[in-house]
Amino acid sequence: MYKQEVIRRIFLCCILGLLFPFSLLAQQAVDVTAKADTNSIRIGEQIKLQLTATLTAQQFKDANFKVLFPVLPDSLDHFEVVTRSNLDTLVNQDQHILHQTFTLTSFDSGHWEIPPMRFEVFSGANATPDSAITLPIGVDVNTVAVDTTKAFKPIKEIKGVAWSIWDYWLYIVIGAAAVLIIGGLIWYLRTRKKPEPVIKTPTVSPYEIAIQELKALKEEKVWQQGDIKQYYTRLTDILRTYFEHQFSIAALEQTSEELLQNIKPVTKLNQQRDKLRSLLAIADLAKFAKLQPTADEHQECMQKAEEILEWTKPKTGAAEETGTDATLEKA
Amino acid sequence: MENTSSDIRQLNEKIHQASAFVDLLTMELGKVIVGQRYMVERLLIGLLAQGHVLLEGVPGLAKTLSIKSLSSAINAKFSRIQFTPDLLPADVIGTMIYNQQKNEFVVRRGPIFANFILADEINRAPAKVQSALLEAMQERQITIGDTTFKLDEPFLVLATQNPIEQEGTYTLPEAQVDRFMLKVVIGYPTKEEEKQIIRQNLNPELSAPIRPIIHPSDILEARKLVREVYMDEKIEKYILDIVFATRNPEEYKLNKLKPLIAYGGSPRASINLAWAAKAYAFMKRRGYVIPEDVRNICFDVMRHRVGLTYEAEAENVTSENILSEILNAVEVP
Repeated sequence: MYKQEVIRRIFLCCILGLLFPFSLLAQQAVDVTAKADTNSIRIGEQIKLQLTATLTAQQFKDANFKVLFPVLPDSLDHFEVVTRSNLDTLVNQDQHILHQTFTLTSFDSGHWEIPPMRFEVFSGANATPDSAITLPIGVDVNTVAVDTTKAFKPIKEIKGVAWSIWDYWLYIVIGAAAVLIIGGLIWYLRTRKKPEPVIKTPTVSPYEIAIQELKALKEEKVWQQGDIKQYYTRLTDILRTYFEHQFSIAALEQTSEELLQNIKPVTKLNQQRDKLRSLLAIADLAKFAKLQPTADEHQECMQKAEEILEWTKPKTGAAEETGTDATLEKA
Repeated sequence: MENTSSDIRQLNEKIHQASAFVDLLTMELGKVIVGQRYMVERLLIGLLAQGHVLLEGVPGLAKTLSIKSLSSAINAKFSRIQFTPDLLPADVIGTMIYNQQKNEFVVRRGPIFANFILADEINRAPAKVQSALLEAMQERQITIGDTTFKLDEPFLVLATQNPIEQEGTYTLPEAQVDRFMLKVVIGYPTKEEEKQIIRQNLNPELSAPIRPIIHPSDILEARKLVREVYMDEKIEKYILDIVFATRNPEEYKLNKLKPLIAYGGSPRASINLAWAAKAYAFMKRRGYVIPEDVRNICFDVMRHRVGLTYEAEAENVTSENILSEILNAVEVP
C-alpha cells in the first residue's frame, strides 16, 4: 500500500517536471551573457568583452544565493587579456545586474571564438552549486591589407621629440649653480684684501751706493796692483747697477751699445753720453782685448764715472723714492 | 798659449788690414743684390767660420743670386742642386759608371764637388739624400766606391727651406738641422729696395757683372786669422750662460720658460756660437770678440737648436721669443 503511494508521487512529479520544467528551476535560474563590442578587428586592435549576470531582487537578497564570475587567465586561445575591470552592480527596477568588462586583443589573424564563460551559481541552504554558461562569440581578426601592386615606400624618418625646457631642468640648475659658485669665487678672490708688501725703509739711495763703491774701488788701488781687467769690470758694474736701480734700465743685461741707446732719456746732453761711450769703450777693450790703458786713462775713467753719476743724480726728494724701489728690487 | 796685450794689438792691426776684403766683397755683391745685406753678411760668417747656412724664406728673395754672386766674387766653383722627392744620393755625391772603351768603372762626380752649393728646398728630398749631403757637409769628404775624395776648400752649403709649403716635405730631423751653423730667416725687401730691383731687372745692362775680388785661397787665409781672434774668458762664460739657459732656464730665474723648452742647445751650439762670434768680430775688423758680437749672431746660431714643446706651439711662442727672454736675463760681462 505504502509502496504504491510512493510510486504514484514519483510518477506525478515526473509528469509535472516534464510539463513545467522552468517553474521547477525558477528559484536557481540566473541570466548570464557575454557580449563583445565588435566581431571584427584588425590584428592588435582591442575588443571590449562584457560579462553580465542578471539576478532577481529575491535572489539578490537571498544570503545563500551566490554567483561567481569566471576567472579569466591572461591568455585565452588566440586572445590576450589586456585589462579587466572590477565587478559592478546595476539596479534596474526589480533586477540586479552584475557586470565585469575585459579588454581583449588578438595577434593571430583568422576567425576565432571567445570561449563560453562559466558562471558558478550557489543556491539554497546547502549552497548547492550549479553552472550557467554563456554562448561563444566569434571574432574575425584581420591583417592589414597591403597593396602589392604599388612600389615599396621608403622607411619613414625618425620623428623628433619636441624640445622642452623641462627635460633639462636638472642640468640647467646644476649649470646655474656652477656659474654662481665660480662667479662667487672670482669675486671673492678679486675683492679680498691682499697682504700689503712690507716696504723696507730705504737706508741708502742707489746714487750713494754707487759713490761709496767707487770710493772703495779707488781705495783698494786695484789698477795700481796690476789687475786692470778687474778694475774696469768693477767700474762698469758699479755704473750698470746704478742705472738699473736708479732708472729701472736692465743695464746689467745689456751690451755697451744697447746701454748707450737706452740711456738716452736719462742723459740729456750728448756730452754726457760721449763720456759714457768713451768710458765703456776703454772698459770693453780692457775687459775683452787685454788692453792696458795708461794710469792717466784709469784716473780719467774714474773721473768720468763720477761725473756721470753727478749728472744723472736725481733731485733730493726723488732720490728717496727711487731709493725705495732700488731697495725693493735688491731684496 | 796665453795672448798678451801687445799680441792682441798686433793681431788687431793684422785683422784690420786682412779683413778689408769684406767691405769690398759686400760692395761688389751690392752691384747685383739689392738689399739682403743681412743674408750676405750671414753667408760670409758661414764662409769664414767654416759653417753651413740654412736659409728659410719664401721663393724669389735672391737666394740663388746671392750665393752665385758670392761664388763669382771669390772666383770659386758653384753648383745648384734642386732637391726633389725622386732625387737619389748618387745624384748629389756622384756614382761609378762603366766605361766601355776602357772596360772599367770610373767615378762620375756629383754636383757636390764645388766650393759653393745651393741645396734648394732641401726638405723636398727624402732622408737618405739629406743624410748624404749632411754627411758630406760634416766630413768634408765623399766616398764613392772604394775611393774617398776630399772636397775643395772653401766649401759652403747654403740650403733653403720654404716655410709655407709643408705638404709632401721631409722635415729635417733635429740632429741634421744641428749641423747647420746658422739658420737665417729672411724677409721681403723694402719698398724702395724692390723698386730698385724692378729697375735693375728691366735694364740689366745698367748693372755691372760681378768681378772676382779675391781668390779662394784668400778665404782660407782669412779663416786662419778668424781662428786667431781673441776670445776672452768672460765672453766664453757669456756664451755658456746663454746655451745653458736654454737647457736649464730655472737656473737663470727663467722658470716660466721651463715648460716651453723641449730641449736646449747642444755643445755644437756653444762651439758654433763661439766660431760665428769670432767671424763676426773679424768682419767688423776687430781682433777680439765683444758681447755685441755674440748677441748679434745669437739668434741665427740658436734658433734651430732650441726645441719647443707642444705647449709653446699652442701658445704661439717661437724660439726667437725664448732667446729674447734669455738674452734679456743673462748678465752681459
